[in-house]
Amino acid sequence: MQNWINAYSWLNIRFLLLGLGVTIFISVVAVVLSFILGSILGIIRYSKIKYVSAILGFFVDLIRNLPLLLIIFFTYFGLPNFGFKPDTILAAIIAMTVFESAMVAEIVRSGINAVDIGQMEGARSVGMSFLQALWHIILPQAYKKMIPAMISQFVSLIKDTSLATIIVVPEMMQHAQVIYGQNANYILPMFVALAVLYFIVCFTLSLIGNHIDKRLA
Amino acid sequence: MKKKFWLVSFLTIILVVLSGCGKQNSSQQSVLKNARASNTLTWGVKGDTKLFGLIDVADGQSKGFDVDMAKHITKHILGPKGKAKMVTVTSQSRTPLLKNGNVDAVIATMSITPEREKILDFSHSYFDAGQSLLVPKSSTIRSAKDLNGKTVIGVVGSNSVNNIHKVAPHAKVVELQDYAQAVNALKSKQGDALTTDNGILYGLAVENHGFEVRGGTFTKEPYGVAVNKGQDDLTKAINQAILEMQHSGEYNHLIKKWFGDVPGFDYKELYRK
Repeated sequence: MQNWINAYSWLNIRFLLLGLGVTIFISVVAVVLSFILGSILGIIRYSKIKYVSAILGFFVDLIRNLPLLLIIFFTYFGLPNFGFKPDTILAAIIAMTVFESAMVAEIVRSGINAVDIGQMEGARSVGMSFLQALWHIILPQAYKKMIPAMISQFVSLIKDTSLATIIVVPEMMQHAQVIYGQNANYILPMFVALAVLYFIVCFTLSLIGNHIDKRLA
Repeated sequence: MKKKFWLVSFLTIILVVLSGCGKQNSSQQSVLKNARASNTLTWGVKGDTKLFGLIDVADGQSKGFDVDMAKHITKHILGPKGKAKMVTVTSQSRTPLLKNGNVDAVIATMSITPEREKILDFSHSYFDAGQSLLVPKSSTIRSAKDLNGKTVIGVVGSNSVNNIHKVAPHAKVVELQDYAQAVNALKSKQGDALTTDNGILYGLAVENHGFEVRGGTFTKEPYGVAVNKGQDDLTKAINQAILEMQHSGEYNHLIKKWFGDVPGFDYKELYRK
């Protein structure tokens, strides 16, 4: 019992929350970047532009079928061979963004495909260009359909940041390891604290997602 | 037509990968010269190992014997104004980080072994550890030879697991991510003994009553400062700094600071002149 009380001392909890800050920082940056990049990739792939769509499609498929851990290793240990030495947080952000962009690209493409083809034909028949039709008619409907898939993808992104402990990113999981490194008896209290904090963050995001979904539907 | 695109994109990847290989490797530049120019040495240190390198939750800085050694060596090489930058590494990440040039030198409970010397250069030993065993007080295991047929817990990427195969070929080995996980596995009886260097084990025994360090040291694990191959001037400078610290008594002062309070461990044995 004493172990549990000591494990949850203010200093330890503060250190854990500092780690949570880094987790959220990496997640937010990766979510924003991968939403933009993934949307562009998804739309290009949908648009079937000669050569470009096929080549980008290949890279999207390639990255979607690699483990995220491998991509993290590559950005941290591989990129320095090409003359670029990212620090751990930057390496994690790059890896998460690359991986999530590929995931988002497929969500966007399937979202667009789910919009009835008649919408595009109708828009084109009243004289809109392909891009106008996409922007004004197709995408607003498509993004509404994507919300649930997008939110669950971003929830797993937050959880996946814990993989970055392997390159010693000072995020929440790594900070927990440091805390139980001081006293091995803190290992269970720390796992419980991690579970609570990850749940709060991820569940809040789900609730926000549901709320947006209901408002728009 | 579609097949052709795949071929083209595949070739593009190969081209990108190959073009990177021709670039000048970081191992060819003099790390020492760069360090003098920037007045900074970047060190790889542990962040989760008690007594040697453990991050302090109050200020987020790694603290321990290795970290203090790194700071002192930096001052000896670069002068009193030299800066030591600490990067947290693990047993698995320290070698690639050194090879890539993310860190200039690694001082992270790293034993000098012939295998490691093939890809890295080491300074003279700065700490004489030896491998030992942590067991429950009720255990029948007296020495490393009793480990045959038993399950031994170790930590990934460290040398101690290989040594167990030599002294007790029939022991089963479980490797875990860090020492705290290893202790908890020992407590939950997933293994019969935990093995690593004695200094680390004593650190673990302090907070885990009911467990003790047993069997003496059955290997010699001299810790060295690792630098990338071909950085002879840096290796020499580090060796010189360690010698100076031993002569001036700084070394013994650090030994007393970190190992003076460890029960069952005679820190004076570690003194050097």
